[in-house]
Amino acid sequence: MKHMKLLWAAAALALTSVGVLAQDDPFADVVETRHGLMMQMASDLGKMGAMVKGTTAYDATVAGKAAANVAAVASVISMDNFPAGSENGKAADSFAKAEIWSNNADFLGKLADLNTAAGALKDSAGKDADTMKTAFMAVGKACSACHEAYRQPQAQ
Amino acid sequence: MGRFLRGIAALAIVGAAFGWYLTAPALRSTATAETLKGDAAHGETIFWASGCASCHAAPGTKGEAMKTLSGGQKFATAFGTFYAPNISPSKVGIGGWSTADFIHAVQDGVRPDGSHEYPAMPYVAYAKMEPQDVVDLKAYIDTLPASDVASLPHEVGFPFNIRRALGGWKLLFGNPSYVLAGSLTPEVERGRYIAEALAHCGECHTPRNGLGGLDKGRWLGGGVIDGTAKVPNITKGKLDWSDADIAAYLTTGATPDFDFVGGAMAHVVENMGHLPESDVKAVVAYLKAVPAVN
Repeated sequence: MKHMKLLWAAAALALTSVGVLAQDDPFADVVETRHGLMMQMASDLGKMGAMVKGTTAYDATVAGKAAANVAAVASVISMDNFPAGSENGKAADSFAKAEIWSNNADFLGKLADLNTAAGALKDSAGKDADTMKTAFMAVGKACSACHEAYRQPQAQ
Repeated sequence: MGRFLRGIAALAIVGAAFGWYLTAPALRSTATAETLKGDAAHGETIFWASGCASCHAAPGTKGEAMKTLSGGQKFATAFGTFYAPNISPSKVGIGGWSTADFIHAVQDGVRPDGSHEYPAMPYVAYAKMEPQDVVDLKAYIDTLPASDVASLPHEVGFPFNIRRALGGWKLLFGNPSYVLAGSLTPEVERGRYIAEALAHCGECHTPRNGLGGLDKGRWLGGGVIDGTAKVPNITKGKLDWSDADIAAYLTTGATPDFDFVGGAMAHVVENMGHLPESDVKAVVAYLKAVPAVN
């Protein structure tokens, strides 16, 4: 019984602190989600990248699955992930530049380019190493094109 | 009292005259360079290695369009906002400039009208360029499309709007000597030429003091651009990537974690793509030889 009470108290406390955190930083979840989407793509790109670099042997099944994941994650990204006010300098941990909103058509164009490149990678990654490499490099260029214009540089 | 004041006034005049003398634009001799013949094909490699288009191409341009050097990109600093000028071979750019004009502008930071350039132009780095490379660079830029887009005036407030004072800045911070000194392998020496003279890595990756001079004691130890953006420390004190990792980053833009390059560094990766693999490896060897900054 006593344990139950403690558990309820802990749960209540946890809920309250979540509430307080959310109040303090309304964009915490949004920023974390964005970073998660990027990390998932990086993880899958890494599997193919190791094959491109030659540090692991080409494996059509692994590459095909990784490429499908990248395409799927890229297709998820939309302006829902970028609510107004969640930019660098306003939202904690955000590296999103204000130009995402002020130059939105171009930003969405670059997002569409990423989806096109990721789609091509999905279609080619499972074929052979060279076909994958070409499509992989195109995805990298699409990533950089957006990071160049719309991500605040961060010291590593 | 009168004598005292006159003494002060005399001193002030002598001081001002001396200051005027000290801040006069200093020009190197171009006699040898003017006898050289420019090789535009080699000049293209120098052009990319030196990152000319990264700043002098119109804002937001990509690929072939970057070869039209119409200027207009904006650089916000603690001293004001600078706009890259038109350096295309047109009347409003560098059309009709002599070899000497070009060398003084690129390596001495002095414009054909004799005034100082702001050090937003990395002439302290370019001062180390080989005369043949500068002449080749001019030959290449002269083949690029001419643009009639007028250069924008810099937005710089007092006292930084007094160009003459830049002579003082040059006296303090314009020493063009290599930072990495001592006996080096030919590969590191080549990398040093690319990194310190051409690609001017230190301009963003080295911290600056209150007057905008590079802190050479913390060479490549991390800087700040556009007022707030942090540029990473790329010495071995912080950067623990393998040689292959750094080479892959410089040529593909992918970090070992497969994040992809952004910001101004995206230009550098594009530029490095125009260099032979041996040059990229030389830059890596140079970075590994630079003293660690913690």
